[in-house]
Amino acid sequence: MIDEAALGHPKADAARCDGATLSYEQLSRRANGLARALLASGLKRRDRVAVLLGRGLNVPVGFYGVLASGGILVPVDPKSPVEQIVRILRATGATHLVSEPDKRNVVLKALANCPDLSHVIGLDSEDGMRFECLPWSTVDDEASDRQPDVGVIGLDPAYVLHTSGSTGIPKLIQHSHASAMSFVDWAANEYALTSDDRLTNHSSHHTCFATFDYYAAARVGATTVILTPALLMMPGSLASLLEDERISVWYSVPTALVQLTLRGDLDSRSLSALRWVLFAGERFPQKHLRRIMEQLPSARFSHVYGSTETNVCTYYHLPTAGELGHSLPIGKACSNSDTLVVDHDLQPVAGGDEGELLVRGSTVMSGYWGEPERNREVLVRRPSAGALEEVYFRTGDRVRMLDDGNLTFVARADLQIKVRGHRVELEEVETALLSLEMVEAAAAFAIPDGESSSAIRAAVVVAAGSASTERELLAGLDDVLPSHAAPSSIALVEALPRTPTGKVDRNALRASSIEGDRRDDSK
Amino acid sequence: MTASDVERRILTFIRSELVSSDVSINPDDELLSGAILDSMGVVRLAAFVQEEYQFKMQPADFMIENFRSVAVLAHFVRKGTSTGQ
Repeated sequence: MIDEAALGHPKADAARCDGATLSYEQLSRRANGLARALLASGLKRRDRVAVLLGRGLNVPVGFYGVLASGGILVPVDPKSPVEQIVRILRATGATHLVSEPDKRNVVLKALANCPDLSHVIGLDSEDGMRFECLPWSTVDDEASDRQPDVGVIGLDPAYVLHTSGSTGIPKLIQHSHASAMSFVDWAANEYALTSDDRLTNHSSHHTCFATFDYYAAARVGATTVILTPALLMMPGSLASLLEDERISVWYSVPTALVQLTLRGDLDSRSLSALRWVLFAGERFPQKHLRRIMEQLPSARFSHVYGSTETNVCTYYHLPTAGELGHSLPIGKACSNSDTLVVDHDLQPVAGGDEGELLVRGSTVMSGYWGEPERNREVLVRRPSAGALEEVYFRTGDRVRMLDDGNLTFVARADLQIKVRGHRVELEEVETALLSLEMVEAAAAFAIPDGESSSAIRAAVVVAAGSASTERELLAGLDDVLPSHAAPSSIALVEALPRTPTGKVDRNALRASSIEGDRRDDSK
Repeated sequence: MTASDVERRILTFIRSELVSSDVSINPDDELLSGAILDSMGVVRLAAFVQEEYQFKMQPADFMIENFRSVAVLAHFVRKGTSTGQ
């Protein structure tokens, strides 16, 4: 794919970061150089290659280099705790690692516990190392116009992504080259991407958002502007970059857009180049969504739905801010996917009834890495046409079909809890909190009470300039929530903890809340 | 309040509230490289200086050039308090 982009648009910018640029020709040559260096160091087809890189121009080189080598790409977040990195490297049995000098300390700590790993690309070697190191200059020495001939087919594994998983043990999710390309082709077509487009990458490059940010861009010869950590922390500077770099397509979790609308001073920017804004992963608080739609009148907004397991499988293009309904559908199946709403026995529900969403399609993962039992539970076979079997992925998400054929999200099964016998969706509690004017951001989480019931607690960021107290917030909820769904306490915080994708980290909230209880008890 | 007073208080806050004890940090260190603060840390830092020095940051103030390092932030805080924002 990169070689094609290099042939079609050799001088076009493939990636830019902090003032530096990599053309498609340069990217292709370096990626082929990395593939050749990996093969020269003994890599075999389907061997796992971890990529542990900070945000920068090495990321696309690492990704395409590994894919071109016939190895399986395992992107790892360098900011993860070392134990988590070790878990991923060991579980995938990675033999090679691609990194860079300023990640040296993390790499050395992690590799002390990874006996399978034999080669590190991107670090200088030093005495006493158990593994062989090849510096990045080796990659440049091997740079080539020609991709090595490794005989990869579409169904071969391309990459293993991970999500944190609700227990903290990462889920390792494996996709084939064909699955990645199916999503990329759908996205390039649906959003009419061209070589003139300029994308960014807000989410970390080890998440499924990168499939769009990097691979969909390369499919059409567009540019990916890689955001530095500083830009992620400073919405004003980020908005200024959107303007200066003439970003035309944006894709992120809603939080990033909320920060831009509240602290990006968007009204004073000229962002007419921005034509598509895609968001996914969480509910977009209505008040912030309406505001940013007004601030970006030239952009169309698209709500995409999926998970790392399915990639994007449904989508909904929003009408104008004025025509927005109360809730936002997740829309209809993408042209490469089928959806089915089923009951407990996996039988289709009657039209309009609530049920679990099943997805079948070419973007669904091959399976969880090394977990055949779990795969049998989530990749279920259903009879079809009397003589066939079709494989569906169980999303765990509760949905309902609307009269117009759009699906609407009800709740994630694991965010549905029981409080004193009542079923409560944590997301409804959050929506209620966000409906209060003084609330900027809110998260609800459950604390099990040990009797198969839970207590709801919440954390809230109050709007700038508001001096609201917990008591006022609780009083405000009286009118909008039934009493069993009201949080028993609300912590006022300056910011909500986030996962690397940018979603609210409810595990972290729960842990710090329980920790707070312990501290109170010991006083 | 001198520049070094402000720097010192900001450093004390970062060391005691935002980073683990094995992270060393100096006034001119790059604050936003991702190695010292995360985005939650930045929000807490912004809240701290506004509270401590009784001034209000505007949306347009959330720029890299105001938070690049402790020294730069201290300068920004002094400017913010002197113009009485």
